[in-house]
Amino acid sequence: MPLTKQAPTRQAITLKGSTNLVTEFFKFAANTILFQRGVYPADDFHMVKKYGQTVLVTQDLALENYLDKILKQVNTWLLTGSVTQLVLAIISKDSRTTLERWVFDVNLIEPPADSSEPAPAKPEAEIQAEIRNILKQIVSTVTFLPVIDQPTVFNILAYTSESADIPADEWVDTDPLAIEASKSQQVKLRSFSTDVHRIEAMVAYRYEG
Amino acid sequence: MSYLPKTPSRHRSRSETKTPLTPSLATGLNSLSTALPGQSSPTKFKADVSINPFLMSQPPARRATSRPVSPIKRTTSGAIQVSESLQRQANSGVVRKGGVESRLDVITRDYVPPKPEKRSKSQPTRDPRDRFITTRDTTDDVAATLDMMSLNPRSASPGHTARLAAAAGVPLNRRVLAYHEPPPASSSDPLLAQAREHVRPLYARPGALPTSTSTTTSKGRKIATLPERVLDAPGMVDDFYLNLVAWSSLNVLAVALAESTYLWRADTGEVLQMGEAPEGSYIASVDFSNDGQFLGVGVGTGAVELWDVETHTKLRTMAGHSSQVACLSWHQHTLTSGCGDGSIWHHDVRVARHKVGELMGHQGEVCGLKWRSDGELLASGGNDNVVNVWDGRVGDVASRTRSSARWTKRNHTAAVKAIAWCPWQPSLLASGGGTSDATVHIWNTTTGARLHSLVTPSQVTSIQWSPHRKEFMTTHGYPTNALMIHAYPSMERIVEIRDAHDSRVLWSALGPNGDVVCTGAGDENLKFWRLWEVPKAKKGKEVKESSRMGTGSTSSGILSIR
Repeated sequence: MPLTKQAPTRQAITLKGSTNLVTEFFKFAANTILFQRGVYPADDFHMVKKYGQTVLVTQDLALENYLDKILKQVNTWLLTGSVTQLVLAIISKDSRTTLERWVFDVNLIEPPADSSEPAPAKPEAEIQAEIRNILKQIVSTVTFLPVIDQPTVFNILAYTSESADIPADEWVDTDPLAIEASKSQQVKLRSFSTDVHRIEAMVAYRYEG
Repeated sequence: MSYLPKTPSRHRSRSETKTPLTPSLATGLNSLSTALPGQSSPTKFKADVSINPFLMSQPPARRATSRPVSPIKRTTSGAIQVSESLQRQANSGVVRKGGVESRLDVITRDYVPPKPEKRSKSQPTRDPRDRFITTRDTTDDVAATLDMMSLNPRSASPGHTARLAAAAGVPLNRRVLAYHEPPPASSSDPLLAQAREHVRPLYARPGALPTSTSTTTSKGRKIATLPERVLDAPGMVDDFYLNLVAWSSLNVLAVALAESTYLWRADTGEVLQMGEAPEGSYIASVDFSNDGQFLGVGVGTGAVELWDVETHTKLRTMAGHSSQVACLSWHQHTLTSGCGDGSIWHHDVRVARHKVGELMGHQGEVCGLKWRSDGELLASGGNDNVVNVWDGRVGDVASRTRSSARWTKRNHTAAVKAIAWCPWQPSLLASGGGTSDATVHIWNTTTGARLHSLVTPSQVTSIQWSPHRKEFMTTHGYPTNALMIHAYPSMERIVEIRDAHDSRVLWSALGPNGDVVCTGAGDENLKFWRLWEVPKAKKGKEVKESSRMGTGSTSSGILSIR
């Protein structure tokens, strides 16, 4: 088939490439949330140019390493397709109640089995624009999310399949940290997709109005 | 009839029509209906009975067959398959509104056990709404419910498991995993947090502070926000740790300018130089004895000098301290000195072996020292952020004895220079911390309790209680360089005089009448502020008293100068 038609500069995105893209997105999304929601003091963050905009990324080494360790495992899971959802929960430090849940659904896009020709590759610029839109949306959520005036901590949950390989002693089964249905509000955020993955974002927050 | 919608069979059929379940579940339901001979018949039958269905006797076999959904009874069904929609509901950790409650209802009502015959006969008129709780058979049903709660797919009905999973937000056939260690604390870098804390007051510009105007006064009371008088004090050292201003009961102000001490008589305006520090040294502190006859002078070399105010002569030098004596406090014949090495000495000025006591309780320089007027207690504040209160009884203590503080407080987070005893409630002590603390704490010295705390915009350099009002005054450093008056129990700000000096206000002294405060600062000015009025009713008495004692009023003295 017309291989020449494909852009010679960039090949269609592979699973590995898409996984890296998604993992990287999680890193910046998590950093943005931690900064915007004030989980860590603003001084801990520095500006980095990414996706054609400035993103605030932590420079706290301990936190950086912690996120790296988590994202490394997420990356492995993404490669095997065993993670279906990632959740960043913001929890009150004192009362341990969940205040916000940032949910990222990970869906694998099944290539149509019968078509011999692969679907046209999505240009990276388009993917980046979608990611940029999500990050912008996360920033803009501070306008409607309730003000958090108490010290908070965060936790990252991974929803994996039953059969996923789980490094012993590193990942443990846990409570989903759900917010009671009667006290929660949800806002669906934008989504982005690569050729392999589709990430849908959603934020649920405690609101007892 | 109100009972009817709660019959198990009706609900089961309703849920089937509402949410399309997986084939396996549907077959399960089919087999269930086959197990029940005539699934709709009990419903119909009960519907026909218009008063109470349980009054009607049921065949004994019905009891076993009408509970096939009980997980214990069900032995079939292996690994379950859940429909896509249910799985999606289960996956989203947040419980969906609306659908959840109805689903929960389905679950609970599905397990309503049929009423046993004998009980329905004994309690025929029971309200059917709480029936399933109150008439539940004991062990079997509890076990069944618990078993169902465990979400074990092998024993529980698949539909229920899925709905329960959806209701609880626990995904089915999924694991919710979290990293084994919690995320690092935000103040993971203590140095950074510390540095941030240190520069915090520097970012606080006057404009950024709560009030935009330079002066705020409370209702009804007018307080002059300009000094009544300004004296030039050239060479005044801009050092937080020194105490260079003292005002005696004889209405004489002592000021140390670098290496010399000056006296300024408030009633005549006469200025005279009293003495100088030894060559190459400087004066670190001055304090008048209670009767105003003697001036104690602490010198940078560690010597403590005693001067006669009347004759302007040095009476004696009491050496012994190893570094500068930055604070002094008198009680009768005892002159107590706080030293740069953290030691506090009691000097009996009458005897040759002047050192009659040593108090060791500070790791850093002693920067605040005050006797209570009755001499029972001595309060000290140090550069180690500690406030100590000592027992004042020193008379019979041998010179080598070292005593320990009656109590020690470590609430301040910066050097404690400002220390003041309340004149109208002897147990009250106020202490104020330096730049990174900027907090005033009020203590009950009898119990050692912290009664009040007041956070101020900048470092607290001194505190003076008003003798006539339930108020106290604080002086502050950068960035406000302010004088503030606070009401006592309410800690309300009565007045704030911003930029009272061009640099940080370091020292303050209260006049003998208790109405004028003199402040000194690094801008080489002494300013006199009339902050309080002497109450009129008392005034006559006091003036009389003071004239009898031979002391002039501060106010009249200042007004009469030049």
